[in-house]
Amino acid sequence: MSWLDSTVHRALVEAAMVGALGGVVGVFVIVRRLPFFTMALTHATFPGIVVAALLGLNLYLGGGLFGVLVVLAVVAFSRVRGQDFTSATGIALSGGFALGVVLVSSQDGFSKDLTAYTVGDVLAVSTGDLAITAGVALAVVLVLALVGKELLLAAFDPTGASALGLPTALLDFALLVLIEVTVVAVVPALGAILAVALLVGPAATARLLSDRLAVLFPVAAAIGVLCALAGVWVSSQWNIAAGASIALLVGLVFGLAFLGSAVRGRAARARAAGPAALPEEARA
Amino acid sequence: MTPTPETRSPLTAAESGDGRSGEPETARPAALVLDRASVAYGEVPVLEELHGTVYEGEAVALIGPNGAGKSTLIKALLGLVPVVRGRIEVLGAAPAQARRDVAYVPQADTLDPDFPVSVEQVVMMGRYRRIGWLRRPSAADRAEVAAALERVGLAGRARDRFGTLSGGQRQRVLLARAIAARPRLLLLDEPFNGVDAVSQHAILEAMNGLKAQGASVVVSTHDLAVAHLACDEVCLLNRHQFGFGPTEATLTPERLRATYGGHALELRGDRVIVTQT
Repeated sequence: MSWLDSTVHRALVEAAMVGALGGVVGVFVIVRRLPFFTMALTHATFPGIVVAALLGLNLYLGGGLFGVLVVLAVVAFSRVRGQDFTSATGIALSGGFALGVVLVSSQDGFSKDLTAYTVGDVLAVSTGDLAITAGVALAVVLVLALVGKELLLAAFDPTGASALGLPTALLDFALLVLIEVTVVAVVPALGAILAVALLVGPAATARLLSDRLAVLFPVAAAIGVLCALAGVWVSSQWNIAAGASIALLVGLVFGLAFLGSAVRGRAARARAAGPAALPEEARA
Repeated sequence: MTPTPETRSPLTAAESGDGRSGEPETARPAALVLDRASVAYGEVPVLEELHGTVYEGEAVALIGPNGAGKSTLIKALLGLVPVVRGRIEVLGAAPAQARRDVAYVPQADTLDPDFPVSVEQVVMMGRYRRIGWLRRPSAADRAEVAAALERVGLAGRARDRFGTLSGGQRQRVLLARAIAARPRLLLLDEPFNGVDAVSQHAILEAMNGLKAQGASVVVSTHDLAVAHLACDEVCLLNRHQFGFGPTEATLTPERLRATYGGHALELRGDRVIVTQT
């Protein structure tokens, strides 16, 4: 008998991994201002998952492949002169989700599974799912360790990065794919609608607490892990939906951090009491 | 936006009049050659028939109104905008091939002030090209970053967040990033826009320091005083070239009036105020 034979144990491991993954990748989502794109991706991978389910293929593979198509489509559309990235993203969001719903609704007896796709079911993860999430987490850490500084420069100063001769289009694509594989890993646990909570909330909360990138990554990962674990625990104690519990906790922690930073900001402004006062700086 | 030239006090030892009037010495290699070059985004030409040479150790000011194509020319020198006719040569090579020795300083206000990045992290970006892919900065890179910050007078701000600095200080940080790259050609896009006097002085000092080390400088500006103070040559631009040559001889009221299309006002016969930039 393995420790992982327990549903709750598997759920806890999965939750911890997606929490950490969402937190780390979320830092890039926040600094590149891509929460809306991430939201769209979670919805747009949905038809891929449905198709994979209908064909009896791996759901991650289906969602992942479809997600890459969506990334390519959005990038191609927004590269056309005069087209806006946000518009392309909005169309991908609604179009992808609608296609998923159409596919699900066309199947007899399939529609009750819709809930699992949209709000996830972390208690249903298998050891195979755990292996895939671990693989994605490893790949993400590896990519960030290898080209983290280039991704950072391309995010901060795209023209400066091009001027250095960095392949910015390739780096942008790599970042979007990084977000995409993370989405694919998170969606089974939290569902297409709630997955965005882990990819935005912990990093946005960390951003309220610190200005330093070196701090943001571990803090965002820690917040993600804690919210995810607490969410699974709350869900098993009171028998409520796990994905929704995680998303609610993420929102709660963000709200508290926001109130805390607002109070701190007021205090700092009162201390500075001058028109030249800049926003407060979290310095030791 | 544009201070009148009269209000400026001489900030640095201007190097005008030191034998600039003669023909360029053949001993000094050309840093920049524009040979009847036209530059275009797609089908639409932005700049046409640019012609002139800048030698190593020289600074050239790109002068012209907004929308004249100054930023586009800088991007063309980086190989980011194609040359559709004629030829541009940077440090003896095609622009995209010369990037290793070229440093670009964007306008500070084009960068997100909320980005969680420290001053020293920004300056370290100038070293990326030398550090290379997959590698981390070494102690030598850190020393270069500290020295570059020292040169722009911001050594004490290394650990502050970039966005908490004033506009002029942010511009100096970006200049330090360029210095840390040890360039042979420095490209500055409107570095004096909305910059305080202290920062302007620091930027001019750093530019002159690089020139003294043999680097060349291309700086786009609205500020004719800057051209007089720090640049050997000027290039007057407004879609076409309205003059390219030694600063004193080229910045004539007639040429400025032609460049700015009637938005130039003459004072006492020899000075010009540009009323719209």
